[in-house]
Amino acid sequence: MDPSEVEFLAEKEMVKIIPNFSLDKIYLIGGDLGPFNPGLPVEAPVWLALNFKQRQKCRIVPPEWMDVEKLEEMRDLERKEDTFTPAPSPYYMELSKLLLNHASDNIPKADEIRTLVKDIWDTRIAKLRLSADSFISQQEAHAKLDNLTLMEINTVRAFLLDSLNCMFKLRSNLRPGSSKGQSLDY
Amino acid sequence: MDAQSYLPVQPGVGMEENFFSLDDILLSHERLPVRTECTFPRLGFLEKSSDSPDIPEGTKMELPVWLSKGLYERKRRVLSVELPKVYREGWRTVFTADPNVVDLHKMGPYYYGLGSQMLHFESPENPDIAQTLLQTFIGRFRRTMDSSQNAYNEDTSALVERLDCLEKTLFRSGQSGLNGFQSWEKGRASTLTASSLVLNYRKRKINDVQP
Amino acid sequence: MFCEKAVELIRELHRMSDGQLPAFNEDGLRQVLQEMEALYEQNQSDVNEAKAAGRSELIPSIKLRHCCLLRNQRCITAYLYDRLLRIRALRWEYGSVLPANVRFHMNAEELQWFGQYKKSLACFMRSLGAGEGLDITQDMKPPKSLYIEVRCLKDHGEFEIDDGTVILLKKNSQHFLPRWKCEQLIRQGVLEHVVS
Repeated sequence: MDPSEVEFLAEKEMVKIIPNFSLDKIYLIGGDLGPFNPGLPVEAPVWLALNFKQRQKCRIVPPEWMDVEKLEEMRDLERKEDTFTPAPSPYYMELSKLLLNHASDNIPKADEIRTLVKDIWDTRIAKLRLSADSFISQQEAHAKLDNLTLMEINTVRAFLLDSLNCMFKLRSNLRPGSSKGQSLDY
Repeated sequence: MDAQSYLPVQPGVGMEENFFSLDDILLSHERLPVRTECTFPRLGFLEKSSDSPDIPEGTKMELPVWLSKGLYERKRRVLSVELPKVYREGWRTVFTADPNVVDLHKMGPYYYGLGSQMLHFESPENPDIAQTLLQTFIGRFRRTMDSSQNAYNEDTSALVERLDCLEKTLFRSGQSGLNGFQSWEKGRASTLTASSLVLNYRKRKINDVQP
Repeated sequence: MFCEKAVELIRELHRMSDGQLPAFNEDGLRQVLQEMEALYEQNQSDVNEAKAAGRSELIPSIKLRHCCLLRNQRCITAYLYDRLLRIRALRWEYGSVLPANVRFHMNAEELQWFGQYKKSLACFMRSLGAGEGLDITQDMKPPKSLYIEVRCLKDHGEFEIDDGTVILLKKNSQHFLPRWKCEQLIRQGVLEHVVS
Protein backbone atom coordinates (compact mmCIF):
# COMPACT_ATOMS: atom_id res chain seq x y z
CA MET A 1 0.00 0.00 0.00
CA ASP A 2 1.11 3.52 -0.67
CA PRO A 3 1.28 5.68 2.49
CA SER A 4 -1.13 8.11 0.83
CA GLU A 5 -3.71 5.30 0.76
CA VAL A 6 -3.20 4.67 4.45
CA GLU A 7 -3.71 8.37 5.05
CA PHE A 8 -6.89 8.22 2.98
CA LEU A 9 -8.27 5.56 5.32
CA ALA A 10 -7.32 7.68 8.34
CA GLU A 11 -9.35 10.57 6.94
CA LYS A 12 -12.50 8.60 7.70
CA GLU A 13 -11.85 8.91 11.45
CA MET A 14 -14.25 11.20 13.27
CA VAL A 15 -13.11 14.38 14.93
CA LYS A 16 -15.00 17.07 16.83
CA ILE A 17 -15.35 20.44 15.15
CA ILE A 18 -16.94 23.74 16.13
CA PRO A 19 -18.44 25.26 12.99
CA ASN A 20 -19.04 29.00 12.54
CA PHE A 21 -21.91 28.54 10.07
CA SER A 22 -25.28 26.82 9.84
CA LEU A 23 -26.05 23.94 7.56
CA ASP A 24 -28.80 21.34 7.64
CA LYS A 25 -28.05 17.69 8.00
CA ILE A 26 -26.32 16.29 4.91
CA TYR A 27 -26.95 12.76 3.70
CA LEU A 28 -23.92 10.97 2.27
CA ILE A 29 -23.20 7.35 1.29
CA GLY A 30 -20.95 7.04 4.31
CA GLY A 31 -23.65 8.24 6.70
CA ASP A 32 -25.47 11.40 7.72
CA LEU A 33 -23.51 14.43 8.90
CA GLY A 34 -24.58 17.51 10.79
CA PRO A 35 -26.64 19.54 11.33
CA PHE A 36 -24.03 22.26 11.74
CA ASN A 37 -24.75 25.19 14.02
CA PRO A 38 -22.39 28.07 14.86
CA GLY A 39 -20.56 27.41 18.14
CA LEU A 40 -22.05 23.94 18.67
CA PRO A 41 -19.52 21.05 18.67
CA VAL A 42 -20.32 18.30 16.19
CA GLU A 43 -18.57 15.17 14.95
CA ALA A 44 -17.27 15.09 11.38
CA PRO A 45 -14.83 12.91 9.44
CA VAL A 46 -11.32 14.29 9.20
CA TRP A 47 -11.50 14.90 5.45
CA LEU A 48 -14.51 17.14 5.88
CA ALA A 49 -13.12 18.82 8.99
CA LEU A 50 -9.93 19.74 7.15
CA ASN A 51 -11.91 21.01 4.19
CA PHE A 52 -13.94 23.31 6.46
CA LYS A 53 -10.81 24.33 8.31
CA GLN A 54 -9.01 25.30 5.12
CA ARG A 55 -11.92 27.54 4.21
CA GLN A 56 -11.97 28.92 7.76
CA LYS A 57 -15.42 27.53 8.43
CA CYS A 58 -14.60 25.77 11.69
CA ARG A 59 -12.29 25.19 14.60
CA ILE A 60 -11.05 21.64 15.17
CA VAL A 61 -11.11 20.17 18.66
CA PRO A 62 -8.01 17.96 18.95
CA PRO A 63 -8.69 14.32 19.91
CA GLU A 64 -8.31 13.59 23.61
CA TRP A 65 -5.05 11.72 23.24
CA MET A 66 -3.45 14.63 21.40
CA ASP A 67 -2.30 16.12 24.65
CA VAL A 68 1.25 16.61 25.91
CA GLU A 69 0.75 14.97 29.30
CA LYS A 70 -1.06 11.93 27.91
CA LEU A 71 1.46 11.45 25.15
CA GLU A 72 4.38 11.73 27.57
CA GLU A 73 2.85 8.98 29.64
CA MET A 74 2.41 6.82 26.55
CA ARG A 75 5.94 7.47 25.41
CA ASP A 76 7.35 6.42 28.79
CA LEU A 77 5.22 3.31 28.88
CA GLU A 78 6.20 2.45 25.32
CA ARG A 79 9.88 2.75 26.24
CA LYS A 80 9.46 0.63 29.36
CA GLU A 81 7.50 -2.27 27.90
CA ASP A 82 9.05 -4.89 25.65
CA THR A 83 5.86 -5.46 23.75
CA PHE A 84 3.77 -2.92 21.87
CA THR A 85 1.50 -0.87 24.10
CA PRO A 86 -1.90 0.14 22.74
CA ALA A 87 -1.37 3.03 20.32
CA PRO A 88 -3.03 6.37 21.16
CA SER A 89 -5.22 5.85 18.08
CA PRO A 90 -5.08 3.30 15.27
CA TYR A 91 -4.20 6.27 13.06
CA TYR A 92 -2.11 8.31 15.51
CA MET A 93 0.66 9.04 13.04
CA GLU A 94 -1.62 10.02 10.15
CA LEU A 95 -3.95 12.11 12.30
CA SER A 96 -1.05 13.91 13.95
CA LYS A 97 0.37 14.81 10.60
CA LEU A 98 -2.94 15.91 9.09
CA LEU A 99 -4.14 17.92 12.07
CA LEU A 100 -0.78 19.46 12.95
CA ASN A 101 -0.18 20.49 9.37
CA HIS A 102 -3.57 22.03 8.73
CA ALA A 103 -4.93 23.03 12.12
CA SER A 104 -1.92 23.64 14.36
CA ASP A 105 -3.51 26.89 15.59
CA ASN A 106 -6.29 24.80 17.21
CA ILE A 107 -3.90 22.45 18.97
CA PRO A 108 -2.14 23.60 22.14
CA LYS A 109 1.63 22.93 22.22
CA ALA A 110 1.61 21.64 18.66
CA ASP A 111 5.39 21.42 18.39
CA GLU A 112 5.75 19.38 21.55
CA ILE A 113 3.07 17.02 20.34
CA ARG A 114 4.84 16.62 17.03
CA THR A 115 8.06 15.60 18.83
CA LEU A 116 6.27 13.24 21.20
CA VAL A 117 4.44 11.45 18.42
CA LYS A 118 7.69 11.07 16.52
CA ASP A 119 9.36 9.67 19.68
CA ILE A 120 6.59 7.13 20.11
CA TRP A 121 6.82 6.18 16.45
CA ASP A 122 10.61 5.74 16.59
CA THR A 123 10.41 3.60 19.73
CA ARG A 124 7.76 1.38 18.18
CA ILE A 125 9.60 0.98 14.89
CA ALA A 126 12.80 0.03 16.73
CA LYS A 127 10.79 -2.58 18.61
CA LEU A 128 9.27 -3.82 15.40
CA ARG A 129 12.71 -4.31 13.90
CA LEU A 130 13.97 -6.07 16.97
CA SER A 131 11.07 -8.48 16.95
CA ALA A 132 11.43 -9.08 13.21
CA ASP A 133 15.03 -10.06 13.78
CA SER A 134 14.27 -12.44 16.62
CA PHE A 135 11.41 -13.84 14.59
CA ILE A 136 13.83 -14.73 11.81
CA SER A 137 16.73 -15.85 13.99
CA GLN A 138 14.57 -18.18 16.05
CA GLN A 139 12.85 -19.42 12.92
CA GLU A 140 9.43 -18.92 14.40
CA ALA A 141 6.42 -20.00 12.40
CA HIS A 142 3.99 -17.39 13.67
CA ALA A 143 4.03 -14.13 15.57
CA LYS A 144 1.54 -12.03 17.45
CA LEU A 145 1.70 -8.39 16.55
CA ASP A 146 -0.95 -6.91 18.80
CA ASN A 147 -1.44 -3.16 18.87
CA LEU A 148 0.49 -2.41 15.72
CA THR A 149 -1.05 0.26 13.52
CA LEU A 150 -1.59 0.04 9.77
CA MET A 151 1.04 2.69 8.97
CA GLU A 152 3.61 0.84 11.06
CA ILE A 153 2.91 -2.48 9.41
CA ASN A 154 2.86 -0.84 6.04
CA THR A 155 6.43 0.49 6.22
CA VAL A 156 7.91 -2.95 6.79
CA ARG A 157 5.37 -5.12 5.00
CA ALA A 158 7.21 -5.70 1.73
CA PHE A 159 10.54 -6.24 3.42
CA LEU A 160 9.19 -8.61 6.02
CA LEU A 161 7.13 -10.67 3.59
CA ASP A 162 10.01 -11.03 1.15
CA SER A 163 12.36 -12.02 3.95
CA LEU A 164 9.98 -14.60 5.34
CA ASN A 165 9.51 -16.00 1.87
CA CYS A 166 13.25 -16.39 1.43
CA MET A 167 13.57 -18.04 4.80
CA PHE A 168 10.77 -20.42 3.97
CA LYS A 169 12.44 -21.44 0.73
CA LEU A 170 15.83 -21.91 2.37
CA ARG A 171 14.18 -23.97 5.08
CA SER A 172 12.44 -26.22 2.58
CA ASN A 173 15.93 -27.03 1.30
CA LEU A 174 16.49 -28.88 4.55
CA ARG A 175 13.95 -31.53 3.65
CA PRO A 176 14.68 -32.29 0.04
CA GLY A 177 12.28 -34.51 -1.77
CA SER A 178 9.27 -32.89 -0.18
CA SER A 179 8.73 -30.42 -2.98
CA LYS A 180 10.81 -32.07 -5.64
CA GLY A 181 9.02 -33.66 -8.53
CA GLN A 182 10.64 -34.37 -11.84
CA SER A 183 12.94 -31.41 -12.32
CA LEU A 184 11.99 -29.65 -15.52
CA ASP A 185 14.26 -26.61 -15.34
CA TYR A 186 16.73 -26.13 -18.15
CA MET B 1 3.89 7.49 -10.14
CA ASP B 2 6.29 5.75 -7.77
CA ALA B 3 4.72 2.32 -8.01
CA GLN B 4 6.11 0.51 -11.00
CA SER B 5 3.63 -0.98 -13.42
CA TYR B 6 6.32 -3.34 -14.71
CA LEU B 7 6.44 -6.29 -12.35
CA PRO B 8 8.95 -8.87 -13.56
CA VAL B 9 8.58 -12.57 -12.80
CA GLN B 10 10.19 -13.21 -9.43
CA PRO B 11 12.96 -15.77 -9.00
CA GLY B 12 12.09 -19.08 -7.34
CA VAL B 13 14.79 -18.69 -4.62
CA GLY B 14 14.89 -22.31 -3.42
CA MET B 15 15.56 -25.48 -5.35
CA GLU B 16 12.83 -24.85 -7.84
CA GLU B 17 13.36 -22.17 -10.46
CA ASN B 18 10.71 -20.00 -11.98
CA PHE B 19 10.57 -20.84 -15.66
CA PHE B 20 10.05 -17.27 -16.89
CA SER B 21 12.25 -15.50 -14.34
CA LEU B 22 15.13 -13.63 -15.95
CA ASP B 23 17.04 -13.82 -12.66
CA ASP B 24 16.70 -17.57 -12.55
CA ILE B 25 17.82 -17.95 -16.15
CA LEU B 26 20.96 -15.96 -15.41
CA LEU B 27 21.53 -17.84 -12.17
CA SER B 28 21.28 -21.18 -13.94
CA HIS B 29 23.84 -19.92 -16.42
CA GLU B 30 26.55 -19.97 -13.73
CA ARG B 31 29.21 -22.51 -14.53
CA LEU B 32 30.02 -25.56 -12.46
CA PRO B 33 33.18 -27.69 -12.55
CA VAL B 34 32.19 -31.17 -13.78
CA ARG B 35 33.82 -34.41 -14.84
CA THR B 36 32.32 -36.47 -17.64
CA GLU B 37 31.62 -40.08 -16.71
CA CYS B 38 30.97 -41.24 -20.26
CA THR B 39 31.91 -40.24 -23.75
CA PHE B 40 29.95 -37.58 -25.61
CA PRO B 41 30.49 -38.48 -29.26
CA ARG B 42 30.74 -35.76 -31.92
CA LEU B 43 30.71 -32.89 -29.42
CA GLY B 44 34.49 -32.50 -29.07
CA PHE B 45 34.26 -28.93 -30.38
CA LEU B 46 32.62 -27.86 -27.11
CA GLU B 47 35.84 -28.68 -25.23
CA LYS B 48 38.39 -26.37 -26.81
CA SER B 49 41.48 -27.80 -25.13
CA SER B 50 41.48 -31.01 -27.16
CA ASP B 51 41.28 -31.83 -30.86
CA SER B 52 39.29 -35.02 -30.40
CA PRO B 53 35.97 -35.24 -32.23
CA ASP B 54 34.39 -36.54 -29.00
CA ILE B 55 34.39 -35.39 -25.40
CA PRO B 56 36.09 -38.40 -23.82
CA GLU B 57 35.12 -39.91 -20.51
CA GLY B 58 36.97 -38.34 -17.59
CA THR B 59 37.21 -34.86 -19.11
CA LYS B 60 37.20 -32.06 -16.59
CA MET B 61 35.29 -29.06 -17.88
CA GLU B 62 32.89 -26.34 -16.86
CA LEU B 63 29.21 -26.62 -17.67
CA PRO B 64 26.34 -24.27 -16.87
CA VAL B 65 23.99 -25.27 -14.05
CA TRP B 66 21.06 -25.89 -16.40
CA LEU B 67 23.02 -28.35 -18.53
CA SER B 68 24.53 -30.12 -15.53
CA LYS B 69 21.06 -30.50 -14.09
CA GLY B 70 19.68 -31.74 -17.39
CA LEU B 71 22.37 -34.37 -17.91
CA TYR B 72 22.68 -35.47 -14.31
CA GLU B 73 21.14 -38.81 -13.43
CA ARG B 74 21.10 -40.58 -10.12
CA LYS B 75 21.10 -44.10 -11.52
CA ARG B 76 23.43 -43.80 -14.45
CA ARG B 77 26.68 -41.88 -14.06
CA VAL B 78 26.86 -39.48 -16.98
CA LEU B 79 28.42 -36.62 -15.12
CA SER B 80 29.83 -35.90 -11.70
CA VAL B 81 29.54 -32.36 -10.41
CA GLU B 82 32.15 -30.83 -8.18
CA LEU B 83 31.04 -28.58 -5.37
CA PRO B 84 32.19 -24.98 -5.85
CA LYS B 85 34.60 -23.87 -3.12
CA VAL B 86 32.25 -21.59 -1.19
CA TYR B 87 29.98 -24.51 -0.36
CA ARG B 88 32.77 -26.86 0.79
CA GLU B 89 33.51 -27.63 4.38
CA GLY B 90 36.34 -25.12 4.75
CA TRP B 91 34.15 -22.21 3.74
CA ARG B 92 31.16 -23.57 5.59
CA THR B 93 33.17 -23.28 8.81
CA VAL B 94 33.92 -19.64 8.01
CA PHE B 95 30.25 -18.91 7.37
CA THR B 96 29.21 -20.60 10.59
CA ALA B 97 31.78 -18.65 12.61
CA ASP B 98 30.63 -15.21 11.46
CA PRO B 99 28.41 -14.87 8.41
CA ASN B 100 28.70 -11.10 8.50
CA VAL B 101 32.36 -10.85 7.58
CA VAL B 102 31.92 -12.54 4.22
CA ASP B 103 31.63 -10.57 1.01
CA LEU B 104 28.81 -12.57 -0.52
CA HIS B 105 28.81 -10.51 -3.66
CA LYS B 106 32.36 -11.53 -4.44
CA MET B 107 31.67 -15.15 -3.46
CA GLY B 108 28.48 -15.32 -5.45
CA PRO B 109 26.81 -13.21 -6.49
CA TYR B 110 24.18 -15.97 -6.37
CA TYR B 111 25.31 -17.48 -3.08
CA TYR B 112 21.89 -18.68 -1.89
CA GLY B 113 20.48 -19.39 -5.33
CA LEU B 114 23.40 -21.44 -6.57
CA GLY B 115 23.74 -23.19 -3.23
CA SER B 116 20.12 -24.30 -3.40
CA GLN B 117 20.65 -25.52 -6.95
CA MET B 118 23.61 -27.64 -5.83
CA LEU B 119 21.20 -29.71 -3.74
CA HIS B 120 19.91 -31.23 -6.97
CA PHE B 121 23.13 -33.24 -7.16
CA GLU B 122 23.34 -36.13 -4.76
CA SER B 123 25.98 -35.69 -2.10
CA PRO B 124 26.38 -36.69 1.56
CA GLU B 125 27.21 -33.05 2.27
CA ASN B 126 23.81 -31.76 1.11
CA PRO B 127 22.18 -31.48 4.55
CA ASP B 128 25.17 -29.47 5.78
CA ILE B 129 25.05 -27.19 2.75
CA ALA B 130 21.35 -26.53 3.21
CA GLN B 131 21.87 -25.83 6.89
CA THR B 132 24.72 -23.41 6.21
CA LEU B 133 22.68 -21.52 3.61
CA LEU B 134 19.85 -21.04 6.07
CA GLN B 135 22.09 -20.09 9.00
CA THR B 136 24.03 -17.62 6.87
CA PHE B 137 20.82 -15.93 5.80
CA ILE B 138 19.58 -15.72 9.37
CA GLY B 139 22.94 -14.52 10.66
CA ARG B 140 23.09 -11.71 8.14
CA PHE B 141 19.44 -10.74 8.32
CA ARG B 142 19.73 -8.08 11.03
CA ARG B 143 22.41 -6.33 9.06
CA THR B 144 20.49 -6.41 5.81
CA MET B 145 17.43 -5.04 7.59
CA ASP B 146 19.20 -2.33 9.53
CA SER B 147 21.11 -1.03 6.56
CA SER B 148 18.00 -0.97 4.40
CA GLN B 149 16.08 0.95 7.07
CA ASN B 150 18.76 3.49 7.92
CA ALA B 151 20.26 4.25 4.60
CA TYR B 152 17.72 6.80 3.41
CA ASN B 153 19.32 9.48 1.28
CA GLU B 154 22.79 8.18 2.01
CA ASP B 155 25.24 6.58 -0.30
CA THR B 156 24.29 2.93 0.01
CA SER B 157 26.83 1.49 -2.41
CA ALA B 158 29.30 0.40 0.30
CA LEU B 159 26.54 -1.38 2.20
CA VAL B 160 25.03 -3.02 -0.84
CA GLU B 161 28.36 -4.03 -2.30
CA ARG B 162 28.83 -7.03 -0.03
CA LEU B 163 25.29 -8.36 -0.34
CA ASP B 164 24.31 -11.39 -2.37
CA CYS B 165 21.69 -10.93 -5.14
CA LEU B 166 18.89 -12.15 -2.92
CA GLU B 167 19.86 -9.83 -0.07
CA LYS B 168 20.07 -6.96 -2.49
CA THR B 169 16.48 -7.52 -3.54
CA LEU B 170 15.47 -7.52 0.13
CA PHE B 171 17.50 -4.39 0.73
CA ARG B 172 15.64 -2.64 -2.07
CA SER B 173 12.20 -3.64 -0.84
CA GLY B 174 13.16 -2.39 2.63
CA GLN B 175 14.30 0.89 1.16
CA SER B 176 11.17 1.40 -0.87
CA GLY B 177 9.03 0.98 2.26
CA LEU B 178 11.14 3.50 4.12
CA ASN B 179 11.31 5.98 1.27
CA GLY B 180 7.56 5.78 0.80
CA PHE B 181 6.98 6.59 4.45
CA GLN B 182 9.51 9.39 4.56
CA SER B 183 8.20 11.10 1.47
CA TRP B 184 4.71 10.85 2.96
CA GLU B 185 6.00 12.40 6.17
CA LYS B 186 7.47 15.29 4.20
CA GLY B 187 4.13 15.80 2.50
CA ARG B 188 5.22 14.68 -0.92
CA ALA B 189 3.14 11.51 -1.12
CA SER B 190 0.08 13.13 -2.65
CA THR B 191 2.00 15.05 -5.31
CA LEU B 192 1.52 13.61 -8.75
CA THR B 193 4.80 12.91 -10.46
CA ALA B 194 6.00 11.91 -13.89
CA SER B 195 6.50 8.22 -14.51
CA SER B 196 10.13 7.24 -13.93
CA LEU B 197 9.86 4.99 -16.95
CA VAL B 198 8.95 7.95 -19.15
CA LEU B 199 11.79 10.04 -17.73
CA ASN B 200 14.32 7.26 -18.25
CA TYR B 201 13.19 6.90 -21.84
CA ARG B 202 13.75 10.57 -22.39
CA LYS B 203 17.24 10.38 -20.88
CA ARG B 204 18.08 7.54 -23.19
CA LYS B 205 16.78 9.40 -26.20
CA ILE B 206 19.03 12.33 -25.39
CA ASN B 207 21.98 10.00 -24.95
CA ASP B 208 21.24 8.47 -28.34
CA VAL B 209 21.33 11.85 -29.97
CA GLN B 210 24.56 12.85 -28.25
CA PRO B 211 26.81 9.80 -28.40
CA MET C 1 28.90 -23.57 -25.73
CA PHE C 2 25.38 -23.73 -27.10
CA CYS C 3 22.66 -21.32 -25.94
CA GLU C 4 24.97 -18.33 -25.47
CA LYS C 5 22.98 -16.27 -27.96
CA ALA C 6 19.77 -17.02 -26.14
CA VAL C 7 21.18 -15.88 -22.80
CA GLU C 8 22.41 -12.71 -24.48
CA LEU C 9 18.74 -11.89 -25.20
CA ILE C 10 17.93 -12.36 -21.52
CA ARG C 11 20.87 -10.20 -20.41
CA GLU C 12 19.69 -7.46 -22.73
CA LEU C 13 16.38 -7.24 -20.84
CA HIS C 14 17.96 -7.78 -17.43
CA ARG C 15 20.22 -4.77 -17.92
CA MET C 16 17.13 -2.55 -18.20
CA SER C 17 15.61 -3.53 -14.90
CA ASP C 18 13.47 -0.38 -14.67
CA GLY C 19 11.10 -1.79 -17.28
CA GLN C 20 12.24 0.05 -20.40
CA LEU C 21 11.63 -1.80 -23.64
CA PRO C 22 14.75 -2.33 -25.73
CA ALA C 23 14.43 -2.70 -29.50
CA PHE C 24 13.09 -6.09 -30.53
CA ASN C 25 16.16 -8.19 -31.25
CA GLU C 26 15.04 -9.79 -34.50
CA ASP C 27 18.55 -10.82 -35.42
CA GLY C 28 19.33 -12.39 -32.04
CA LEU C 29 16.10 -14.34 -32.13
CA ARG C 30 16.82 -15.61 -35.63
CA GLN C 31 20.26 -16.82 -34.60
CA VAL C 32 18.79 -18.76 -31.69
CA LEU C 33 16.22 -20.36 -33.94
CA GLN C 34 18.97 -21.28 -36.38
CA GLU C 35 20.95 -22.91 -33.61
CA MET C 36 17.85 -24.83 -32.59
CA GLU C 37 17.32 -26.03 -36.11
CA ALA C 38 20.91 -27.24 -36.33
CA LEU C 39 20.61 -29.01 -32.96
CA TYR C 40 17.40 -30.66 -34.04
CA GLU C 41 18.82 -31.90 -37.32
CA GLN C 42 21.94 -33.24 -35.63
CA ASN C 43 19.80 -35.07 -33.13
CA GLN C 44 17.49 -36.41 -35.80
CA SER C 45 20.34 -38.01 -37.67
CA ASP C 46 22.00 -39.34 -34.48
CA VAL C 47 18.71 -40.79 -33.31
CA ASN C 48 18.23 -42.57 -36.62
CA GLU C 49 21.76 -43.90 -36.51
CA ALA C 50 21.42 -45.02 -32.88
CA LYS C 51 18.24 -46.89 -33.75
CA ALA C 52 19.33 -48.39 -37.06
CA ALA C 53 22.85 -49.38 -36.09
CA GLY C 54 22.16 -49.94 -32.39
CA ARG C 55 24.74 -47.33 -31.44
CA SER C 56 23.57 -46.54 -27.94
CA GLU C 57 26.80 -44.68 -27.10
CA LEU C 58 25.35 -41.76 -29.07
CA ILE C 59 22.63 -41.27 -26.46
CA PRO C 60 24.54 -38.95 -24.07
CA SER C 61 25.22 -36.50 -26.90
CA ILE C 62 21.60 -36.67 -28.05
CA LYS C 63 20.51 -35.87 -24.54
CA LEU C 64 22.92 -32.97 -24.31
CA ARG C 65 21.59 -31.42 -27.50
CA HIS C 66 18.05 -32.01 -26.33
CA CYS C 67 18.78 -30.10 -23.11
CA CYS C 68 20.12 -27.23 -25.22
CA LEU C 69 16.95 -27.20 -27.33
CA LEU C 70 14.83 -26.92 -24.21
CA ARG C 71 17.09 -24.24 -22.75
CA ASN C 72 16.83 -22.17 -25.93
CA GLN C 73 13.10 -22.60 -25.85
CA ARG C 74 12.96 -21.39 -22.24
CA CYS C 75 15.11 -18.35 -23.00
CA ILE C 76 13.07 -17.33 -26.01
CA THR C 77 9.70 -17.69 -24.32
CA ALA C 78 11.01 -15.84 -21.25
CA TYR C 79 12.32 -13.09 -23.55
CA LEU C 80 8.98 -12.71 -25.32
CA TYR C 81 6.98 -12.95 -22.10
CA ASP C 82 9.04 -10.38 -20.24
CA ARG C 83 8.66 -8.01 -23.15
CA LEU C 84 4.89 -8.40 -22.98
CA LEU C 85 4.99 -7.48 -19.28
CA ARG C 86 6.89 -4.34 -20.21
CA ILE C 87 4.52 -3.51 -23.04
CA ARG C 88 1.54 -3.92 -20.72
CA ALA C 89 3.18 -1.51 -18.28
CA LEU C 90 3.50 1.07 -21.07
CA ARG C 91 -0.27 1.28 -21.33
CA TRP C 92 -0.41 2.35 -17.68
CA GLU C 93 2.50 4.76 -17.84
CA TYR C 94 1.93 6.42 -21.21
CA GLY C 95 -1.75 5.94 -21.85
CA SER C 96 -3.26 4.38 -24.93
CA VAL C 97 -1.19 6.29 -27.48
CA LEU C 98 2.50 5.45 -27.40
CA PRO C 99 5.16 7.86 -28.62
CA ALA C 100 6.77 6.88 -31.92
CA ASN C 101 10.18 6.17 -30.39
CA VAL C 102 8.63 3.59 -28.05
CA ARG C 103 6.50 1.95 -30.74
CA PHE C 104 9.57 1.75 -32.88
CA HIS C 105 11.02 -0.82 -30.46
CA MET C 106 8.10 -3.21 -30.90
CA ASN C 107 7.65 -5.76 -33.65
CA ALA C 108 4.41 -6.23 -35.58
CA GLU C 109 3.02 -8.94 -33.28
CA GLU C 110 3.78 -6.89 -30.21
CA LEU C 111 2.02 -3.86 -31.66
CA GLN C 112 -0.97 -6.06 -32.36
CA TRP C 113 -0.87 -7.43 -28.81
CA PHE C 114 -0.71 -3.93 -27.39
CA GLY C 115 -3.74 -2.98 -29.48
CA GLN C 116 -5.70 -5.93 -28.16
CA TYR C 117 -4.69 -5.27 -24.55
CA LYS C 118 -5.76 -1.66 -24.98
CA LYS C 119 -9.09 -2.82 -26.33
CA SER C 120 -9.87 -5.31 -23.60
CA LEU C 121 -8.88 -2.81 -20.92
CA ALA C 122 -11.14 -0.19 -22.48
CA CYS C 123 -13.95 -2.69 -22.77
CA PHE C 124 -13.58 -3.62 -19.10
CA MET C 125 -13.52 0.01 -18.02
CA ARG C 126 -16.64 0.78 -20.04
CA SER C 127 -18.49 -2.06 -18.31
CA LEU C 128 -17.85 -0.63 -14.84
CA GLY C 129 -20.02 1.74 -12.84
CA ALA C 130 -23.43 0.55 -14.04
CA GLY C 131 -22.78 1.38 -17.66
CA GLU C 132 -21.30 4.78 -16.87
CA GLY C 133 -17.75 3.52 -17.33
CA LEU C 134 -14.84 4.17 -15.03
CA ASP C 135 -11.26 5.04 -15.94
CA ILE C 136 -9.26 2.83 -13.59
CA THR C 137 -5.94 4.24 -14.78
CA GLN C 138 -6.87 7.52 -13.08
CA ASP C 139 -6.48 8.43 -9.43
CA MET C 140 -3.70 5.98 -8.73
CA LYS C 141 -3.30 7.92 -5.50
CA PRO C 142 -6.33 9.08 -3.47
CA PRO C 143 -7.16 12.59 -4.72
CA LYS C 144 -7.08 15.43 -2.22
CA SER C 145 -9.01 17.87 -4.37
CA LEU C 146 -10.86 18.01 -7.66
CA TYR C 147 -8.70 20.76 -9.12
CA ILE C 148 -4.95 21.09 -8.97
CA GLU C 149 -2.35 23.67 -9.89
CA VAL C 150 -0.06 22.65 -12.72
CA ARG C 151 2.85 24.15 -14.60
CA CYS C 152 3.62 23.38 -18.23
CA LEU C 153 7.06 21.88 -18.81
CA LYS C 154 6.87 22.12 -22.59
CA ASP C 155 4.69 23.47 -25.37
CA HIS C 156 1.84 21.03 -25.77
CA GLY C 157 -0.65 23.01 -27.82
CA GLU C 158 -4.36 23.42 -27.27
CA PHE C 159 -6.19 21.44 -24.64
CA GLU C 160 -9.91 21.16 -24.11
CA ILE C 161 -11.37 20.84 -20.62
CA ASP C 162 -14.77 19.52 -19.53
CA ASP C 163 -16.84 22.63 -20.06
CA GLY C 164 -15.55 22.99 -23.61
CA THR C 165 -13.08 25.76 -22.84
CA VAL C 166 -9.88 25.46 -24.80
CA ILE C 167 -6.69 26.52 -23.11
CA LEU C 168 -3.20 26.81 -24.54
CA LEU C 169 -0.58 24.73 -22.78
CA LYS C 170 2.50 26.85 -23.34
CA LYS C 171 5.87 26.23 -21.73
CA ASN C 172 6.11 27.73 -18.22
CA SER C 173 2.45 28.76 -18.14
CA GLN C 174 0.55 27.85 -14.99
CA HIS C 175 -3.06 26.58 -14.85
CA PHE C 176 -5.71 25.45 -12.39
CA LEU C 177 -7.27 22.36 -13.95
CA PRO C 178 -9.46 19.36 -13.13
CA ARG C 179 -7.18 16.75 -11.64
CA TRP C 180 -8.45 13.89 -13.76
CA LYS C 181 -7.67 15.75 -16.96
CA CYS C 182 -4.06 16.33 -15.90
CA GLU C 183 -3.01 13.08 -14.34
CA GLN C 184 -1.89 11.47 -17.57
CA LEU C 185 -0.08 14.57 -18.82
CA ILE C 186 1.78 14.77 -15.51
CA ARG C 187 2.77 11.12 -15.82
CA GLN C 188 4.04 11.86 -19.32
CA GLY C 189 6.11 14.76 -18.05
CA VAL C 190 4.17 17.43 -19.97
CA LEU C 191 2.76 19.06 -16.85
CA GLU C 192 4.16 19.39 -13.36
CA HIS C 193 1.99 19.24 -10.23
CA VAL C 194 2.58 22.44 -8.26
CA VAL C 195 2.06 22.06 -4.53
CA SER C 196 1.79 25.32 -2.70
